[in-house]
Amino acid sequence: MNTSETSQNIHEEIVLLLPRLRRFARNLVRNPHDADDVVQVAVERALMRSEQWRSDARLDSWMFKIVRNAWIDEMRSRGRRDKVFLAQEAGENVGTDPIEGEIAIMSIQTAMARLPEEQRTAISLVLIEGLPYKEAADVLEVPIGTLTSRLARGREALQALLGSEGEEI
Amino acid sequence: MNIPDETLMAFVDGELDAAARAAVESALKEDPELAKRVARHAALRQRLRVAYSSELTEPVPQRLLEAAKRVPPQANNIVNLRGARGAKLRDAADSSPSAVRWRPAAAIAASVIIGFGLGYANRNQGSAPLVRTADGALTAGGVLAKALSAQLVARQNPGSEVHIGVSFKAKNGEYCRTFALSGTVSPSGLACRQGEQWRIESLGQSNDAAGSGYRTAGTNMSSQTLKAVEERIDGEALDAAGEANALQKDWRK
Repeated sequence: MNTSETSQNIHEEIVLLLPRLRRFARNLVRNPHDADDVVQVAVERALMRSEQWRSDARLDSWMFKIVRNAWIDEMRSRGRRDKVFLAQEAGENVGTDPIEGEIAIMSIQTAMARLPEEQRTAISLVLIEGLPYKEAADVLEVPIGTLTSRLARGREALQALLGSEGEEI
Repeated sequence: MNIPDETLMAFVDGELDAAARAAVESALKEDPELAKRVARHAALRQRLRVAYSSELTEPVPQRLLEAAKRVPPQANNIVNLRGARGAKLRDAADSSPSAVRWRPAAAIAASVIIGFGLGYANRNQGSAPLVRTADGALTAGGVLAKALSAQLVARQNPGSEVHIGVSFKAKNGEYCRTFALSGTVSPSGLACRQGEQWRIESLGQSNDAAGSGYRTAGTNMSSQTLKAVEERIDGEALDAAGEANALQKDWRK
């Protein structure tokens, strides 16, 4: 595959990935607008260094990694104050919708919001985005054993937060 | 048998090899308590997927679609180590006129069809999205899926919303068809039948409709679709009889 074909595919495929990138970013960044900012930075970075992406590698994993790094850079540049504030805000505003059926969904998101970041990203990549352990470990730049223990702790925490609901089949 | 929780989680996540999976499966049959633990992990996984599925069908903001289709800025605007490498790539791209004009065109076509399928069409009563995403894969919906399933080239109405091009059998046994959509911007592409779905294999733009700054992409895009066809086709394209026969089988393998 020559360079121009790779580039052409990458634009098209990134467009297709945008909904998932936004979803992943929202699990990192509480404010959806900020999450979109992170996605935008990540997309721009990805296109700048698209020659680093090998077309036999999974584009989604590669992009998730860039999204996460963009978020880490953003956090560093503005300090941790906003994150704490936004997490509190998100916790207050969810779970109040009276429509039945949405309550369970909101409570999962509330529960996710309470997980430590490292567990939340592990859960997000494997259980929501469906990445294999190896790919998820690569995105987070940790050994597989670290990923699986974060996953296990995250799952236990979610089950505990969700209470008996989580045990229903 | 005492199986650690992490193994059960890996089982639910599809991460065990065949032998380990078989061991868990046979243990499950004998131990209801174990089965309950597995069900609990599977239920959590399922709940998460459902809880976060609506975000996949939300319309994507225009600024992100634009960011995704934008060709990176010129080298002198990039202040990082990769600038030099990037510039080399861009020089290569600039020397090849087809490369510069079909990249943005393809991205626009993709964003338009997705924007149309996921956003615009959803808000119009009665019109189902033409393209749906699920876990990053694209499938045809609405009139596009209907045309792929039911429209024969021989009886095609020139005014129909979807124009079917060639139909063929792929090397993997699947039936595939090329299509073009009518309208001011005309996305075109290739779809292959997979079970109940038409999976979109290739998506591009067939006409010069993107307007300012983008030149005709017609020949370039059709060459892209053509390439996708050439990579997959087993033998020759179906003739009218072959097409009718495939339709009878509902385009199943």
